[in-house]
Amino acid sequence: MSDSVERQSVEVDIACVGFGPAMGGFLTTLTKAAAEPAGENASGSALESRVMPGMPIQLMCYERADDVGFGVSGVVTRARGIKGSFPDLDPAAIPMAQSVKAEKMIYLLDPIGASRRPATLRFADNVLRAAGKALPVGRDHALELPYIPPFLHKGDGLILSLGQFMQWVGGQVMGSGLVQLWPGTPVAEALIESNEVVGVRLADQGVEKDGTPSAGFMPGMNVRARLTVVGDGPVGAVGQQLDEKFGMPEGHHKRDWAVGMKAVIDLPESCTWEAGTVLHTFGYPEPEIFGFLYVHPNRVASLGIFVPSFLESPVRTSYRYLQHWMQHPYLWKQLAGGTLRSWGAKSLQESGMHGEPRLTGPGYARIGEGSGSTNVLSGSGVDEAWTTGVMLAEAVIELWKAGKPFTQEELDGAYVRRRRGSWVEAEGRIAKKSRDGFHKSFLTGLMGMGLTGLTSGLLNVNATAKRPHERIPTLEKYCEGRIPAEELAALRKKAVAEELPLRDLIMNRLGWPEIPYDGKLLVSHQDALLMGGKVQANPGYADHVVFRDAELCKRCGEKVCIEICSAQAITAGEKGGVPRFDREKCVHCGACLWNCSQPRPGNPELGNIEFRAGSGGLHSSEN
Amino acid sequence: MEKILYLAHTDSNGSLPKPALEALTAAMELSKKLGGASLSVGLIGASIDAAAQAIGGCGAAKLYGAAGAELGVSRYSTDAAAAEALAKAAGATLIVAPGTTRFARAIPGVTARLGGRIDTRVTGLLAEGNTLKVQRWYYRQRMMSTQSRAQRPWVLLVDSGVFPAYSGPASSPSVESVTVALPALKTKTLGVEQATTGPQTIRPDARMLLVAGAGWTKKQSDGQLHIKDAEALIINFLEKTRASLGSSKSLVDQTGEGHEVISILTHLNQIGQTGSTPRHAKGLSTCCHGEEPHAVGWRFINERRAINLDANCGWAQGKADVVYIADAFAVMKRVNELL
Amino acid sequence: MSGLQIVVCGSLVPDPLQTLEPATTPTGPGLKNELMLPAVLDPWAGHALYEAANLAKSHPGTKVYLVSVGPKAKLQQLMMNIAQKVPFELVAVDASASGFTDPFEVASALAGAIEKIPGLDRSRLLLFGGCSSASRDAGVTLQLVGEKLGITDQFLGVDELQLQGDGSFKVYERIEGGQYQVSTCQSAPAVLGWATGKLPIPPNNPQVGMQNMRAIMPALQKAAAVKVGAEGVTYDKVEVPNQRRETQIKKDLSVDEIARELVEWIRN
Repeated sequence: MSDSVERQSVEVDIACVGFGPAMGGFLTTLTKAAAEPAGENASGSALESRVMPGMPIQLMCYERADDVGFGVSGVVTRARGIKGSFPDLDPAAIPMAQSVKAEKMIYLLDPIGASRRPATLRFADNVLRAAGKALPVGRDHALELPYIPPFLHKGDGLILSLGQFMQWVGGQVMGSGLVQLWPGTPVAEALIESNEVVGVRLADQGVEKDGTPSAGFMPGMNVRARLTVVGDGPVGAVGQQLDEKFGMPEGHHKRDWAVGMKAVIDLPESCTWEAGTVLHTFGYPEPEIFGFLYVHPNRVASLGIFVPSFLESPVRTSYRYLQHWMQHPYLWKQLAGGTLRSWGAKSLQESGMHGEPRLTGPGYARIGEGSGSTNVLSGSGVDEAWTTGVMLAEAVIELWKAGKPFTQEELDGAYVRRRRGSWVEAEGRIAKKSRDGFHKSFLTGLMGMGLTGLTSGLLNVNATAKRPHERIPTLEKYCEGRIPAEELAALRKKAVAEELPLRDLIMNRLGWPEIPYDGKLLVSHQDALLMGGKVQANPGYADHVVFRDAELCKRCGEKVCIEICSAQAITAGEKGGVPRFDREKCVHCGACLWNCSQPRPGNPELGNIEFRAGSGGLHSSEN
Repeated sequence: MEKILYLAHTDSNGSLPKPALEALTAAMELSKKLGGASLSVGLIGASIDAAAQAIGGCGAAKLYGAAGAELGVSRYSTDAAAAEALAKAAGATLIVAPGTTRFARAIPGVTARLGGRIDTRVTGLLAEGNTLKVQRWYYRQRMMSTQSRAQRPWVLLVDSGVFPAYSGPASSPSVESVTVALPALKTKTLGVEQATTGPQTIRPDARMLLVAGAGWTKKQSDGQLHIKDAEALIINFLEKTRASLGSSKSLVDQTGEGHEVISILTHLNQIGQTGSTPRHAKGLSTCCHGEEPHAVGWRFINERRAINLDANCGWAQGKADVVYIADAFAVMKRVNELL
Repeated sequence: MSGLQIVVCGSLVPDPLQTLEPATTPTGPGLKNELMLPAVLDPWAGHALYEAANLAKSHPGTKVYLVSVGPKAKLQQLMMNIAQKVPFELVAVDASASGFTDPFEVASALAGAIEKIPGLDRSRLLLFGGCSSASRDAGVTLQLVGEKLGITDQFLGVDELQLQGDGSFKVYERIEGGQYQVSTCQSAPAVLGWATGKLPIPPNNPQVGMQNMRAIMPALQKAAAVKVGAEGVTYDKVEVPNQRRETQIKKDLSVDEIARELVEWIRN
């Protein structure tokens, strides 16, 4: 790593990247052990520091977001791992936490007629409508399924605001006095020397957008560590760097993704949903888009949709779809009159165990979503992530007490062994192939999930996973038969001339109605950033979204990055050329990383956009 | 039975500044609303004769004066000593004073000396029976409270622009001179300097406020930045209208960071959550975007118009009387030509 | 002047972009979801802290304290945000940071904590803080603390402080009309309530953070719980006034028409 800049350097025992649920599990477990005395008659910590002998183990954790718990999501979780760490957990101690009381799965029909439904689904919809009088469909264009497959049940679980939960966990681990937890501190990269990870480098400050030093330049500090724990999520810069440097295990890939766009709302007085209600929806606004809604205490709900990479549309937009989804009659009759409190988006790694990277290497270990722990069958990731953190902590305690180094061999023996024997792994293996069917078609995917789930993974639909860019059709192909070629060309021309995204032009033309803004719940995208996400960016950091090859962008006919951008931070460039990026609007969802239709020369698993470590983003901890 | 003391300081000409005359109206109204209340006046200045004469007809039962060369300047130690002496002389239970920067600095400490309590930025005085209730804002003008208080003396600094300024016949009242034991004078006032000069000068008395938003420094429809053009348009407008200039936090922050920005802006121009909330008869916002709390910056502007590209923008929608959906560069150019 | 002791009073306020709504609590008015609202260091107090740190950098031997009254858990979280900015020593008081507390009670808590700072030398003391808070927004607390500590040289709305070689200093205070009043003061102690000052917000310096945090955690752990409320105050109602106006949207006028309409409005 050549670097001519003189940097501050500090040495710690363990450097941690990212403070999400996995790191919460890791630090909770480790600090509990470190708080124990060394022995019955001994003073000092059971885990004594190697860099500061006599002191407890020195743990440093860096989080990119401006505060702990900013920008995560409402979740429903069975919380097996979390309850294992906190056996006496009282949900009342955590704002917005609530035990699950009722769970429903709802198939949403298309009340507008604009969604792209395969013929078989249209047929099924018609049957349902015809049977409407006998079934509770009719008025609300929805079917409440009489049965929820057990693999999807969260019946004994918790509804959490992950933001509030992480703040609570952050308070606990910081309060132990054994961890320094630093939000607002992006980690630029892992420090790698002779193929060994020896710590991390923090992002430079006082730089121009392109990273060149300007007034007040402060080179990112080197944090040297015995062990680097990487829990920076599915689009984290360090995780990406390690994937690139050490390669993915044979046959593994990260090709399945989704954008989760979510909001927290104050429910109107008229709403009859009780706290603890959990709804899962599918079928609308596009068949591939799944929805969720969790009711917290005090008439507050977390809700949102997942827009998956297998939605084969070059004009994917999460925000507009979210607004159409909320307005579905089944939901809107309860939501109308509500008020947006918080809003945000994140990428989800949906490859599950297909996407498991090398869990360890010399000097480092990976935990959480970026380590492939999400169960793609049950749609559960938080508790799994937490549990991977716990497992690594147990491994670290074992190695530390035995005085063993953090070599790959030792980490494999202590950590990977635990992972392989865990319920996370056992269930992840069952789930591994559950979503492969979506690479054939939506309905095949749905059937595949059912097959895998109901046979506990014995039977699966087999399909080869396509890379994200291979699934993005051209705009012309997408609109074939629905918008005449000349008209489409005119819309394209208009978008280029006026530097507009295509999504609204196309969706309007395809019959999606304009959103009737009410200034409360249905607000413009920009107001969602301000009212909901309270998005901000600190000055002095480099742009973290980088378009690698301008020529590729100029040639690109889709520019899905503009369409999918959760925050309108990526906008049309001059004359249809390289898009523009506005760091002050970015919510760091990372969707641009996997929504590029241009394969990267030399590494077609990735596109032409780099998503680096960056500062700023959401300033709401209610999500 | 409240004993109300109206407390004011003179300006450098020996007369009472407008906020002081407004606070007098507030004190007079209050003395009428609270049954059995008495009103006295306490004045501080190098010489208080002219001020006493100007308000001699206000109906106060008694006028106290603290005068002297050292009381002609705005300084904590001397102002606090004078106000303390006047309050004690009057035996006040309620003290009503203008929220000028001079009193905002000095009077809180006086309250501590008197063992009383203070509320500032008062925008309303109500009497229910014989109970005084004040209205004041919290969280930077985000919410308003109506509240009363048990402790006395209770000191109220009244916001300017709320009450009409007192104007009554001049008379020559008798003034009881109160002796002030001056403390050691460690602080010396050197004078006053303009913080900003030129067209962007902050003009609290201007009829109009021009609010420049961050949109001026964004890329325009041709994909280019036009910051020098924006600056010229704004300066030209200010010169022609003598309006005061306000701006958003994001815009003045950029100035501090050395970006290419509208160079005339400083933090003094900042309005909104972490800036000022000025009072003007009219306000024109240009290129502003944002919801609460940004929009509190023009909460106290009576007539509001906006030029904006987005009709749904929270700054304009529901906040302005009229919003013009147009390019501010083009409109302001034409406005300047017409002016 | 060297070897100053700068005590900065400042605590947390809701992050300015948050939506605030009043709520009734058992102890009086508060904010809806107050504990969930992300908090920042009160902006003007923040400027005071950065100015203090800047003075300390150029005046060896100067020590900077930050005295904060707030709920311990929230203060801990706040420290994660500001401890990387500049070097300081925290003195924490575990009490409410609500805007609806009375400045008198807050000032008593602050003065009590300041008096207990070991080795505090009032002849070298500069008491800093914001000219007003973004919560109570009264602009009086600092003066009250000053009085309780017997400091009668006080300045409010300060944008610049120039220390002279002889121990005196020159102060620029914001006054009406976009003007500065310029004063000199012979020596400490003095109270300075800062406006924005002249400094940008410092970048995060991890080394500063690590250094600070070693003393911050013990300071938080030994933070004394103090009752800070608003005794004697009766809040009848706290409300967000309905500020909504009927906005007339004019979409289809030409630039010339808009300009003419505006000019007429400006002139009337």
